[in-house]
Amino acid sequence: MEAASVPGGGRSVLGRSPLARLPDRALRYGLTALAGAILALIAYFFVRLVGEAAPAFERFGVFGFTFGSEWNVNAEQFGALPLLVGTLITSALALLIGVPVAVAAAVYATELCPVRLRTPLTLLVELLAAVPSVVYGLWGIFFLAPKLQPAEQWVANKLSFVPFIGGGLVTIPNYFITGLVLAIMILPIVSAISREVMATVPADHKEAALGLGATRWEMIRTAVLPFSRSGIVGGAMLGLGRAIGETIAVTILIGNAPKLSSHLFEQGYSLAAVIANEFGEAQGLHRNALFAAGLVLFVLTLLVNGVARGLVLRAARGRMAQGTGDGGGEAGARLAETVAGA
Amino acid sequence: MSAHGASTQPLSRFAVSPARRRKDLLARAAILAATLLALIPLVLIIYYLLRKGLGSWSTSFFTTDPTGNTFFKNSNIGGIKSAILGTLEIVALASAISIPIGICVAIWLVEYGRSSRFASVVRFAVDVLTGVPSIVFGLFIFIVLVVGTGSTYAGYKGSCALALLMLPVVIRSAEVILLLVPSGLRESALALGAPRWRVIFSVVLPTALPGMLTGVLLAVARAAGETAPLLFTAGATLKTNFNLGQFTNSLPVQIYNDVISPTTSVEHRAWGAALTLVSIILLLNVIARLASRRSRLG
Amino acid sequence: MINNKMGALASCAVLAFGLAACGSSKSSSSSSGTSASSGGSATVSGAGSTFAAPVYQQWASSLPGLTVNYQAVGSGAGITAIASKTVDFGASDPPLKPADEAAIGKNGSPAVQIPMFLGAITVSYNLPGVPTGMKLDGKTLGDIFLGNVKTWNAAEIKALNPGLTLPSTAITVIHRSDSSGTTAGFTGFLAAVNPEFKSKVGEGKTVPWPTGTGAKGNAGVAGSVAQTVGAVGYVEQAYALQHKFTYAAVKNKAGNFVSPTLESTTAAGEGVTVPANLGIKIKNPSSPKAYPITSQTFIMVNQDLCKAGVPGGEAAAKGLGKFLAYGLGEGQSILGQADYAQLPAAILEKSKAAAAGLQCNGSSIGG
Repeated sequence: MEAASVPGGGRSVLGRSPLARLPDRALRYGLTALAGAILALIAYFFVRLVGEAAPAFERFGVFGFTFGSEWNVNAEQFGALPLLVGTLITSALALLIGVPVAVAAAVYATELCPVRLRTPLTLLVELLAAVPSVVYGLWGIFFLAPKLQPAEQWVANKLSFVPFIGGGLVTIPNYFITGLVLAIMILPIVSAISREVMATVPADHKEAALGLGATRWEMIRTAVLPFSRSGIVGGAMLGLGRAIGETIAVTILIGNAPKLSSHLFEQGYSLAAVIANEFGEAQGLHRNALFAAGLVLFVLTLLVNGVARGLVLRAARGRMAQGTGDGGGEAGARLAETVAGA
Repeated sequence: MSAHGASTQPLSRFAVSPARRRKDLLARAAILAATLLALIPLVLIIYYLLRKGLGSWSTSFFTTDPTGNTFFKNSNIGGIKSAILGTLEIVALASAISIPIGICVAIWLVEYGRSSRFASVVRFAVDVLTGVPSIVFGLFIFIVLVVGTGSTYAGYKGSCALALLMLPVVIRSAEVILLLVPSGLRESALALGAPRWRVIFSVVLPTALPGMLTGVLLAVARAAGETAPLLFTAGATLKTNFNLGQFTNSLPVQIYNDVISPTTSVEHRAWGAALTLVSIILLLNVIARLASRRSRLG
Repeated sequence: MINNKMGALASCAVLAFGLAACGSSKSSSSSSGTSASSGGSATVSGAGSTFAAPVYQQWASSLPGLTVNYQAVGSGAGITAIASKTVDFGASDPPLKPADEAAIGKNGSPAVQIPMFLGAITVSYNLPGVPTGMKLDGKTLGDIFLGNVKTWNAAEIKALNPGLTLPSTAITVIHRSDSSGTTAGFTGFLAAVNPEFKSKVGEGKTVPWPTGTGAKGNAGVAGSVAQTVGAVGYVEQAYALQHKFTYAAVKNKAGNFVSPTLESTTAAGEGVTVPANLGIKIKNPSSPKAYPITSQTFIMVNQDLCKAGVPGGEAAAKGLGKFLAYGLGEGQSILGQADYAQLPAAILEKSKAAAAGLQCNGSSIGG
């Protein structure tokens, strides 16, 4: 093999001169420095915002602010609980509705769709990402919300015995419509990433399943989905991030009522919406409180992402223990571990 | 493979039971239904946009700047030229900043950082950034670059806010794709004696590029449509401006300001601008996809 | 293979180029803002009230050679902007609080606020069959927005409108969900005339509404009112007039039921006490012809703009002088075309005097 020519000039790697190793070192240190710089930027971001938020935390205490149940601007009483609850409800709704639909669309595009339709379908779903958030909000409040209100009222009446969903007057802007539009907004990103991930499933996995007599659906269920699980979770996390942080559309659709609404079809508020809504007119302590709301959002995203990584890691360890055997499984487990940040 | 024998041996163990066949059909129908469900809002929104916005489109709509002349009934309120150009400029700069940096960080995370503690911290920090509301990026840049430096609004400051917005999306999606490059590819290239940097640039990146393109385009689409980061950073103006160091108009801000106007014709202009924005992003998507040669992993 | 290395290098080059371009333009942005446009035209930057935005943009477009870049970011952000010298002038609907005056004055020259024009807040309703001009008084209005009066044919409303057949439709209250000066003006009036409203809800840009649906912006409230039969909401005059809403005639302090016309809005400014710093606040005005729910809007500047160090420099200061002169002069007469109201003569004189008193490094820019 010594006589074979190799890239780099006909010598074995071990024989490379220090000069030839330089690009590697430079790249390694350069990229590490870049990653460190980004980390420093994000830390600075965090620190600056803490600085702006500090007076609010001083006044109400960290827990007092985060779990305080009253957000009253006039009385200078700032408690973020109604906002937090609103963010959680709408984001959960967005995930619950959006992720299954997005993954289904991705599965269809990669596995079941006629090849000719693949690119147009992909483009159509990604067209949803091209729509600006202000348009989503306006379309939602002027078109979708009024159209859905009778149906929502029907559901609320029929299910009046169910605690959170039923038995109340449905307002046009409410949690549900916000969650629904958010689901539509996160569809493209979850779908696109899921699609990319599913497209990389090794063909031999799929063919093995089919060759063993699996139906199409069983092949998807056993060969494609497990392989793509961590990638799909990654996409869902990005979608969730978008849902948690979406500002303009939410502020148009949620009604901006700073109260702990008792059901799904009532108005509420969210952490991102309060910042967008009130920053233009806010001064002094109010402004600090708005930055503090932003910080609560940070921590929320942190926690949610931490939980997601933990889940993925647990699933990967489980699969490794079962011994999925070949290099694909090992790569999958390593992938999951890395993604989970072990 | 004995599958060929299935048709002559109805009781072969490869025959599909009716129950399994039913489940298969059901599942496929459900998936198709969900896909159509995903497309319904798209059709509705596009129809709504076309209905409200197409009426404003005309040659002068794209070639004249908006005027402030909204009082007089038959006056010319102008078009959206400065907004279109401004968006293209601001987003181009934001992309030029965030895409290379984002991809480089993703490369580092996958190739060098791996499961090290430092990499976990970086990953975490990036994750947190994905959940930050777009307005907070604008406010951060406002505090640091506008109030902090005692200077005024500028287009590039809007780009910085947008770049911050795009960065976590680019990093995260690039990371997901890079992780899917089979380790076998890397290892064979290394075994052939290629240096690390060569492996990355000649083997890993080209394989991952089409997938990364998707994530990048999504980030660009998001940035192009965001209003909040630009409100406190880029500065509103009606005039066309090729210098990003000055106030720069943009489509989302123009839409946002116009849509709340009492004058009906201005409100129509907002919808025409929204339709324009969607069309521009769609065009970008199509061009980028056509330009990239698709090669699937595996 | 080569292509991708080239691609990577190219993107790095673009990045470097972009940053370099940023660097060079950054230095130019901190200097005078007039350099970009050719031929000696001035560029003035401002930020603040969304209510005033269309007016300032219209005035600017009527003045050739002057570019006014105005950010409609809200009154509060406008005050911050002028205080941190991000813009040449700020705009706010409510008058400056003492703390804000001090913050602006810290730039080296005292703050000056100049009332520019007036706008009414209409009570718009959606009742097919009931024309414009339904009579309402402050107490009933307050009760409606408190949720105490629930149907349109309630006794209180009937008593004020003996001649009208009122349906038994339920009243749906629509209020603003975002922070706004319009809310401040409306709740200011209600708090002044309805003690229960004052204690339960109070006044301000954001209040804890006990009933009703929130909608974002004037457009949101207007849209909600238009979509819901039986709805009532408070909408800016320009919006209501241009979209031909049906609105109520509200009883003013003198006991007359007045519709929100441009004349009655201007009349609301008559007889208002004008403090030394011109920080007028129109609240339940006493003039017999006045429409009682009216609010004002200001432009805030430092008295000596150049000494305070505004970003636009001397050229912007001169430009602003021209802008103010126009706005307080011919600009007042075109306000009516877009359904905004002029200042009454007494206040207009004081505004003109204040504008004339503005300086740039000691020399006057006004007039």
